[in-house]
Amino acid sequence: MSGLTGKIIARSLGQVGSTLAFLILVIAVVEVLLYLILGKALKHRYTLPYMLIAPAAIGLALLVIYPIGYEIRLAFSNMSLRSFKNPEFGLDQAWRNFRMIFTQPVLKQAMFFPLFLRTILWTVIQVTSHVVFGMCLALLLHRPMKLRGVYQALIIVPWAIPQVIAVLTWRNEFHFEYGFINIMLTRIGLNAVSWKTNPFWNFAAVNLTNIWLGVPFMMVIILGGLQSISKSYYEAAEIDGASGWMRFHSVTLPLLQPVLTPAIILGTIWTFNLFNVPFLINQYELETSDILVTALFRAAFEYNRYGFAAAFALVIFVILFVFSVAYIKLTGGLKGVYER
Amino acid sequence: MKKVVVVLVLIMAAAMVIGGGQGETTAEGPVTITLWTKEGEADNALQWVYDLAEGFNQINSNQQVEVVKPGDVEALREDFQTASLAGTAPDLLWTVNDHAGPFTAADLIQPVDGLFDLSKYVDAALAAVKLDGRTWGVPINNGNHLMLLYNKDLVPQAPADTEEMFRVAQRLTTADRYGLVWNQTEPFWMVPWLGGFGGSVFASDGVTPTLNTKAMRDTLQFLYDMKYKYKIVPKESDYNGADSLFKEGKAAMIINGDWSLGAYKEIFGDKLGVARIPKVSSTGKWPAPYTSGVFFMVPKEVSGAKLDVVKAFVNFVTNEENQVQMVRSLNRLPALKVALDETIVKNDPFLKGSADQMVVGTPMPTVLEMRCNWDSMKPEMQAVLNDTKSPADAAAAMQRAAEACVKTLE
Repeated sequence: MSGLTGKIIARSLGQVGSTLAFLILVIAVVEVLLYLILGKALKHRYTLPYMLIAPAAIGLALLVIYPIGYEIRLAFSNMSLRSFKNPEFGLDQAWRNFRMIFTQPVLKQAMFFPLFLRTILWTVIQVTSHVVFGMCLALLLHRPMKLRGVYQALIIVPWAIPQVIAVLTWRNEFHFEYGFINIMLTRIGLNAVSWKTNPFWNFAAVNLTNIWLGVPFMMVIILGGLQSISKSYYEAAEIDGASGWMRFHSVTLPLLQPVLTPAIILGTIWTFNLFNVPFLINQYELETSDILVTALFRAAFEYNRYGFAAAFALVIFVILFVFSVAYIKLTGGLKGVYER
Repeated sequence: MKKVVVVLVLIMAAAMVIGGGQGETTAEGPVTITLWTKEGEADNALQWVYDLAEGFNQINSNQQVEVVKPGDVEALREDFQTASLAGTAPDLLWTVNDHAGPFTAADLIQPVDGLFDLSKYVDAALAAVKLDGRTWGVPINNGNHLMLLYNKDLVPQAPADTEEMFRVAQRLTTADRYGLVWNQTEPFWMVPWLGGFGGSVFASDGVTPTLNTKAMRDTLQFLYDMKYKYKIVPKESDYNGADSLFKEGKAAMIINGDWSLGAYKEIFGDKLGVARIPKVSSTGKWPAPYTSGVFFMVPKEVSGAKLDVVKAFVNFVTNEENQVQMVRSLNRLPALKVALDETIVKNDPFLKGSADQMVVGTPMPTVLEMRCNWDSMKPEMQAVLNDTKSPADAAAAMQRAAEACVKTLE
């Protein structure tokens, strides 16, 4: 076995070293230029802050702005395998790409709108389940009981496991012959389920996995919110004769809102864009389990429709952008930030 | 502020020192090429690749090969395309023949006609990487085809036709054993039967999909019957599931490729039977699995000293000694003509069975349109096997999807 020999380590370090050296060199040059231009020539009062921000700004420009710019440029091209090295760019190509998204199959057979609706369904199922189950667990744990810390730790485990590992483990558990779930089902006299090939059950498997993964996060957030609610509100409600449901409805829920609102908006965006779970659980690439982002990945890297996929990515970006702006406007989520 | 300038100048000097020396090693030292291989660890093939590279590196101090394994076969294709775009492609590929289609379409590899003496390789293997009159790969092994493998403890004699196969398999199917297993998720396992029903995925021009045909409908009906009428296969079975069932003795027969021979031979020894996939009783035709092989492909930009290392390594791997070694350790059919005459190849019952299956095989198309066919057949085959679509509807949907896909290639 060709293992990790000293030679390989030395060469790897050498490669990292040269990259590091290049980065240091570029930053040093920029810093010197900033110092000479802003500090010496212009005598700018913010020379030092600019010099301090410069490395991060360069890093962001390289890692975020350049790829986005490249992506937008690609959306204006007909890049595919046949035009891999010499794609044509132009408005007509962009128009063709955007038109294709809405008029032709995005994947082999799935059209954009059914995929979009499925993505919404997926997001609604997930966020609702996360909040409902997370709330139930948080309420159960937010009371004096023995071994509360142990229960909390156990429930948080799914969140603590690296997502890809957890998902791949679940995928194996959905195996028809050897999976834990089917073995349990057959032991209690039920039929084994085709989790990987049946469209309905595959979508169910994807959902079950992500519910398992997502509930602990929501539970932790809600539990934190619950712990911050002063007991005096409940005491006052009790004196007024409020029932358990009324206390929950009129005290707990409104006071949890500052915590729940950002958790839900973030959860929605994360779920809408979640790639690992739908992609990995859907091992046999059933189009009936694809959502927009997995379809986007397949269009780009399995079907090599690069220009088309870039335009498709822009459409998904616009959808999320509109959602975020609308949600922020409606809930005033960023009010606190602007008012500072 | 002078201190700041001094510090910055010192940093720049340090960076130059760290960054220096890098270029010198490449100018003076050995020329190293990077090889990406599709081989996996399941049948020890990846280990064999590592051993070959190590052997080559030991006898060539100025020419070195570094092996990289970038995930599975599909990951290799995707990563190679992306790396080529970024200008960081490897110097040599060790991959399957159907990658020649996308790689030539994207102009990422170079023809090997002038680089190697191709006359020493088996013609059938070379045919699998010929496109537009040029050869795009050097064969490492020949075959890569499906065949029937059976456990002789359960099936003493291979069934001659599908009627017999169903009879035998039904008799052997019990609560904890299946008569037959195969990878029900990949159309690669369906294609042999399509040939047995007289069909082909392309028209005579080799690029127009012909999936909505009577042969395809009959094939899908046949697979459906295998599952729901004769009930000899698992309800759901992927590659690993089928493989495990057979290895554990929970399946009497399996349809699998020549790459699995080594592992099965190790488990079953003489009790492993290798034969052709049974003749289709209703047509009297042999199923025709796709034959191809594993190939070296040379990326477009490789030239000069690196190309010399590539040539030396390819010739080293495909020399007679290493080809015979491959037969011994991996049970794969060699691509080198002289190696085919070796006693070990001629007398090995497993390889004989494998070679016999190859006779009725058909070369796997390498054109880019084949990708559309694979992608279109896969979900529809699964839908039929899930009883969510009729064979007629599935065949029609395959054709529509393939035609739409071919359009997007333009």
